[in-house]
Amino acid sequence: MSDTLQITDLKVHFPGRGGEPIRAVDGVSLSIAPHETLGLVGESGCGKSTVSNATVGLVSPTSGSVRVLGTELAGANARTLRAVRARAQMVFQDPVMSLNPRMTVGAAIGEPLLVRNLGRGIALRTRVAELLEEVGLRPEHASRYPHQFSGGQRQRIVIARALALRPALLVCDEPVSALDVSVRAQILNLLVELQSRHGMSMLFVSHDLAVVRHVCDRVAVMYLGLLAELAPGDVLYSKPLHPYTKALLAAVPEPDPVMQRAKPRVLLTGEIPSPANPPSGCRFHTRCPIAIDICRHEVPAWRHVGNSQVACHLV
Amino acid sequence: MTAPALSVDNLSLAIGDAVVVDGIGFSVAQGEVMAIVGESGCGKSITAQAIMRLLPPAIRRTSGTIRLGDDDITAISERAMQAIRGRRMSMIFQEPQAALDPLATIGTQIAEALRQPLSRARPAVRKMLEDVGISDPDRRVDQRPFELSGGMCQRVMIACALISRPTILIADEPSTALDVTIQAQVLDLLRHLAIERRTAVVLITHDMGVVADIANRVAVMYAGRIAESGPTEAIFAAPRHPYTALLLASIPRLSDTPKSQLATIEGRVPTPAEYGSGCRFANRCPRADARCSNETPRLRSIGPDHFTACHHAEAMA
Amino acid sequence: MSGRLSPGIIVILTLLTAFVFAAAGADLLAQNDPLRQSLLMRLRPPGTSTATTSYLLGTDDLGRDLLARILYGARASLLVATLSVSISLLVGTILGLLAGWLRGWTAILVMRFVDTMLSIPAILLAVLTVAVLGPGFLTLVLVLGLTRWPRYTRVAFAQTLQVVTLPYIRAAEMAGCGPMRILLRHILPNIAGPLMVVATSEFGLMILFEAGLSFLGLGVQPPYPSWGSIMAAGRQYVQRAWWLTVFPGAALFVLVLCVNLLGDWLRDRVDPTSRSR
Repeated sequence: MSDTLQITDLKVHFPGRGGEPIRAVDGVSLSIAPHETLGLVGESGCGKSTVSNATVGLVSPTSGSVRVLGTELAGANARTLRAVRARAQMVFQDPVMSLNPRMTVGAAIGEPLLVRNLGRGIALRTRVAELLEEVGLRPEHASRYPHQFSGGQRQRIVIARALALRPALLVCDEPVSALDVSVRAQILNLLVELQSRHGMSMLFVSHDLAVVRHVCDRVAVMYLGLLAELAPGDVLYSKPLHPYTKALLAAVPEPDPVMQRAKPRVLLTGEIPSPANPPSGCRFHTRCPIAIDICRHEVPAWRHVGNSQVACHLV
Repeated sequence: MTAPALSVDNLSLAIGDAVVVDGIGFSVAQGEVMAIVGESGCGKSITAQAIMRLLPPAIRRTSGTIRLGDDDITAISERAMQAIRGRRMSMIFQEPQAALDPLATIGTQIAEALRQPLSRARPAVRKMLEDVGISDPDRRVDQRPFELSGGMCQRVMIACALISRPTILIADEPSTALDVTIQAQVLDLLRHLAIERRTAVVLITHDMGVVADIANRVAVMYAGRIAESGPTEAIFAAPRHPYTALLLASIPRLSDTPKSQLATIEGRVPTPAEYGSGCRFANRCPRADARCSNETPRLRSIGPDHFTACHHAEAMA
Repeated sequence: MSGRLSPGIIVILTLLTAFVFAAAGADLLAQNDPLRQSLLMRLRPPGTSTATTSYLLGTDDLGRDLLARILYGARASLLVATLSVSISLLVGTILGLLAGWLRGWTAILVMRFVDTMLSIPAILLAVLTVAVLGPGFLTLVLVLGLTRWPRYTRVAFAQTLQVVTLPYIRAAEMAGCGPMRILLRHILPNIAGPLMVVATSEFGLMILFEAGLSFLGLGVQPPYPSWGSIMAAGRQYVQRAWWLTVFPGAALFVLVLCVNLLGDWLRDRVDPTSRSR
């Protein structure tokens, strides 16, 4: 079965101030199979949001290929993009600003169907009611405005809108980061349940490793525009290979004081470099606790090591 | 027994007629990190502002006392308060780049915290920059905030806050806006500085992981009241309030089984307009009964230094 | 926007409604024909009455009823203002929306055009155009409508630039909405607030402009009444017949004050913190 999403050597460069382009994404390859969830984690400036935007055509690749269900997005015209968007949808981070404040919730959810002439009148209202119920809200909510709902409810509405066209690929960009802790669990449960019910593939972008663990089958770790490691969830969390992955996992504070205080400290030195001026060789070498000479000069190759893929000279 | 560095007793805050913080009390000893944890709207941030007497005009204190050591600072004049802020009591905020003056060099700003011109305070400023782990301090002293990253700005803010050796540091979500590897560095720094300088730290956060990392004691706030407070290990190992227990159960952890269903808390946090009589968590609590909706549970002792405001605390053992 | 109105704003809205009704119902409210001259009744003071009728506000230099002329003059003020604001709002918003949406060369050209228009003194432009096209009601509306649009364009452009970066616009693209739908259904309703604030303050200004141009003889032409032209005629008789300048002047003052206060109130309501509610 062919992949739902296939990204090959994706590069996205933005014009920077003073000549040097910002290499937000500088050669990323990954794929997502049908029914699979891939997590993409990283810190600021790593380029994960740019990758997710490129997956749905909101940003065009500078080079490389992005194929959604076989359709190439790089260099695609408006019509192709529109067709692809019927199959790949996005859930954004900020539930407040993801909904038009002057539009009723029902109108917002039904819009994808309306603009493609896939329903109108009663049929449309029925479908909107179905979608509302699927995300845990009630049909009568359709006539209300976004400001009448809480953050968690707004995110459910955004998810309902994303599901309207029954996409094969759902891209979630930090869907729970802006929500309260007690609401996050509700939305995560909802996403897991919806995925198992509809069988869509998911690209789940987040900076929160614990959240990603919960939702994903495989996980990719990004640093400054490149992938550091990609492995099945179980393998990545128990036997991380790349020093950055290890540092990330060590830095996540466990909500368990005994465990947390017993954890060996792996504190990275220095700050995250800017994507406009990435270090030479392996981009992580400036902060890597085990960097050696070759790391400063040569970009490590992306290799298979067991079930994982990793880019590090010392693995 | 010496008085605690900071003690807050029966503090209540109101916006108009709505009481948004109701009878909060806690104390922090020298060198101790006390975390106040809760979700948005629980009142933790305005409690911190109330302690610093920096409340916005719409919010007023309706009761309670605040003591710094033996001194009651609840009703002292604004002028007296200005002498305390930045000297005996300091605060750091969530958005480091927004809290620093974009036009002044960081050296000037840190020296300002000492109320001295940079020319006179340069050696002290330089030492402070080293203490907070900023590399190349001689060069950094003359830079402006936009030239520094978020993590570095947060360190500068910590430097401003601690250079005058305050007895109390209030940290309002100090690491929330930072990346996780930078957060680890900043929290580590805070912990070391607290221990070395014996500063009492009040740490406001919504992140239980941060609490588990550096807090000695924790107070869990919900809808303007303290639900539970006590030593960190005790609260995490055996929570005695259903909210604490559910909150801990609903947090995704690295050790979880993927795609398992997380425990959730039904419903959502009530707004002040929705506060009724009795326990404010009753409408979401799996253990609630008629008594909970009618009778407000008082914060009471349930173990050594461990307090809870729940009628059913014993049943949770 | 919530519905609680303070007493102050209710008074203002009532007064404005009164003006509109006075203008619309001038036919019914005026006792006398505003155009009917009477040499016998020249320059009579307010309160004069004859066997057949009364002149509540007095008469002008040609014996015409001042009250009737003021009522009909309200029509001129309100009509000119409404039509010219509508034209500039339409033209200005469209240009601002396009500039904000397409950016690039379109934005540069539009905004340079705006800068140019704003550098020309408004009254001068109006006077020149009227001088060229000849005075009259229609010229007045066109002149005011086509010289005031830059103010709306600036606001529409700035607001569009802000709104376009918001996630719900990207979400609309994701849903498959075309540019027209996004502009009309997603951007326009969300920039309407600040545009309405500009429109209200421009409305007051257009009333003053109309009065000013009519005062100079370049606006509504005699014998049709306009507050400006009544005051122009009354200038020579300020000491003998003060009512010819005071009453139209007072009407002008109250109307523009109400419009400006309404604009202030709208601006407070449309503040960004309440816009997302």
